[in-house]
Amino acid sequence: MNALNPLFAQARTVRNTSPESRSMSTIAPRRLRQHFFDHIPIVVLALLCLVATLSSDRFLSYSNLTNVLLQASVMAVVTIGMTYVIIGGGFDLSVGSVVALSGCIAAEVLLKYGIVAGVLAGALAGVAVGIVNGVVVAKLRVSPFIATLGTMVLVRGVVLLLTQGTPVVGDEGLGDTFTALGSGGFLGLPILVWIAIVLALIFSWVLHQTAYGTRVFAVGGNPEASFLSGLPVQRITISLYAICGLTAGLAGVLLAARLQSGQPSAGEFYELTSIAAVVLGGAALQGGEGKLYKSMVGVLIMVILANALNLLGVDSYWQRVAIGVVIIAAAAVDQLRRKRS
Amino acid sequence: MSRLEIEHVSKRFGATQALSDVSLSVVGGQVLALLGENGAGKSTLIKILAGIHQPDSGRITFDREPIHFDTPLAALQGGIVTVPQELRIVPSLSVAQNILLNQLPVQRWAGVLPRLDKAAMLARVEKLLADLRIELDPHARAGSLSFAERQLIVIARALAHRPLVLILDEPTASLEKREVDRLFSVVHRLRDHGVAIIYISHRLDEIPAVADRCAVMRDGRVVADLEGPDFPPAALAEAMTGRPMQLSAREVEPVGGVTTSLPIGQQSVPLHKGEVLGLAGLLGSGTTQLLRTLFGAEGGTSSGVRQAVAQGRAFVPGERAKALVMNMSIRDNIVLPHLARYSRGWRRDEKAIDRVVGTMMERLDIRPRNPRLPVGSLSGGNQQKVAFAKWLTSELQLLLLDEPTNGIDVAAKALLHDRVAEFTRAGGTVVLNSSDLLELLDLSHEVVVLRQGHVAGTMPRGADFGEAQLRQLLGVG
Repeated sequence: MNALNPLFAQARTVRNTSPESRSMSTIAPRRLRQHFFDHIPIVVLALLCLVATLSSDRFLSYSNLTNVLLQASVMAVVTIGMTYVIIGGGFDLSVGSVVALSGCIAAEVLLKYGIVAGVLAGALAGVAVGIVNGVVVAKLRVSPFIATLGTMVLVRGVVLLLTQGTPVVGDEGLGDTFTALGSGGFLGLPILVWIAIVLALIFSWVLHQTAYGTRVFAVGGNPEASFLSGLPVQRITISLYAICGLTAGLAGVLLAARLQSGQPSAGEFYELTSIAAVVLGGAALQGGEGKLYKSMVGVLIMVILANALNLLGVDSYWQRVAIGVVIIAAAAVDQLRRKRS
Repeated sequence: MSRLEIEHVSKRFGATQALSDVSLSVVGGQVLALLGENGAGKSTLIKILAGIHQPDSGRITFDREPIHFDTPLAALQGGIVTVPQELRIVPSLSVAQNILLNQLPVQRWAGVLPRLDKAAMLARVEKLLADLRIELDPHARAGSLSFAERQLIVIARALAHRPLVLILDEPTASLEKREVDRLFSVVHRLRDHGVAIIYISHRLDEIPAVADRCAVMRDGRVVADLEGPDFPPAALAEAMTGRPMQLSAREVEPVGGVTTSLPIGQQSVPLHKGEVLGLAGLLGSGTTQLLRTLFGAEGGTSSGVRQAVAQGRAFVPGERAKALVMNMSIRDNIVLPHLARYSRGWRRDEKAIDRVVGTMMERLDIRPRNPRLPVGSLSGGNQQKVAFAKWLTSELQLLLLDEPTNGIDVAAKALLHDRVAEFTRAGGTVVLNSSDLLELLDLSHEVVVLRQGHVAGTMPRGADFGEAQLRQLLGVG
């Protein structure tokens, strides 16, 4: 051991003069900047809340905040699945239609067979559409954009056929339990918000802590390398769309509970808002990158921005313009960040 | 004779001294090979010449006139043309359109409306191709051509600018032997036209064939500047790495025992335990397909691959873009094929992963030693080490290597060769496809030459085991 010691000492002195260690002094600020860029969504959310608080005294009121969270909850559940699909290198435009389909089916089944069957039926309808999307993308190799554009239109058509365009309400409403689910509270927060939080935690754990989650990132980052590593790429892709269908289906059920009806026109533009939220959260549209909690931050940014503009009395047409600008700006900043690293 | 003179050029990026006091000259009608490992400063020097970076100090003169380029376009107009590693061609356009991409001849219809003068374009392109004696159909769609042919398009495009200095950045990294020979003859024809050529390379073996002079860079300095025609590989390698290198063929002891047999065409070649079977073949000879078939990857379903992995087979593809998930960490890339083994229930067993990744990074000397870095941020050599590390963690019996040291530095290459030798000594079997004939001869116990998916000849290790015999079998003698 003693004979080796001088060797080690020498190795260490040599390493100290290597370029890596010489640049140590510059690493700290660079890492700080990287941290800042990594957490831009949270900074934006904080700034947005600050501005909203300063410009309207109603923003921080209990009723407004619960309202914001309630609005965010359904979109958050949709965005969980969207984050999975986008990290896995895909895209899903059909979620808005699935929200309507699942809401209507859940309401119909609930009226006949009770609440458990209703919720299950709504969720399963979403999974079924998701599996169709996944098979068309993975097996038939249709681009995700076109495949899900197709199901988006198709599913909306099915909803309208099933309901003949009229909301599913039932003669005496959808029952007390379902009403409680949609408008009840627990520990000061609406139940829908709790459900969204629990789902986000579970799916975040799966995405970031499990072997399955790592495979999702691999398939999105490089399908060929994943294939040559023995990953079942097609099956994983199908599972991603199934998960996205599941969360969209659950969101549809939650929305039906909130609205106390299955609305055939529900969920319009949800796909776009949800994709915008994922992009605001910094996930890469080409796949392989992203964090679930950041997508949730993206959802909050979208909802709070709309809320703040409402409180400020901004004309609703101008609100759309503002939201569009924010989405483009977020994507541009993200591109800048990527260039830097 | 025109003469490009680089005088005492230094360049610093943050705390890294990329170039320190570099002086170098190249004359028209000469090929200067610029050697160096990754990070030696070759790219920085080239980027300064191409107007992408500005030097901090020192100057560059051309025929005694100081020159200074603020933009890549200025350098191009000044006659310094670079052929980069990633070829910029438009796949949907024709060969002719690609060659004259930024100087398409225009005819004005009725004196106003511009339209492409197809006849003039064809005439110019045909003359350019004839000058270089390149046989390419000007009408062919560029996207339908091989990498080597696209490279010729880019070189012809460079020539259309009438360059005084032509810089080729590792042009042979993805070429077959025969394509390399064709490239060299084009380079030599350009040289004979009086162009000064700077040829950047990793590969010591090709220097004598292409270069008149050779400069070696290390740590931002020029550490050797040799006149041809002899370029002793050992001296070059030593200059590149700064330590003596062993480049001669290693001892190979056969262990014996047939593990499996390799079906090629109608024949079946036995694979022995503890041996390396070398595959040689020109482009389209089916070597890569053969390896992919052995790995179960040609069926297009993942069950074939998983079965192969379960049988202890591993495949390191020739393109690193197919081997690694670039924006994922070193750590996750290494355990990707074995996630099931490194999980407890659903949850990843991070401690076990840390252990195995730590061992592998140590064993393969992956630098920097930070497992959380994305693989895309590593040098080519270190990326390739990660591609090896992925599989060396498993219970491996048959290692399938496709161009395992393509475009990586000498030190990384030597290390990977050592690991291959170690693996066979422990009783493993390797099938190696390489267009680097020296590597093939160095590592293999037997070389099989393929032509269009069939065995064209075999060459066991023995008296007649050498480059000349191999070239004869390949038909490129």
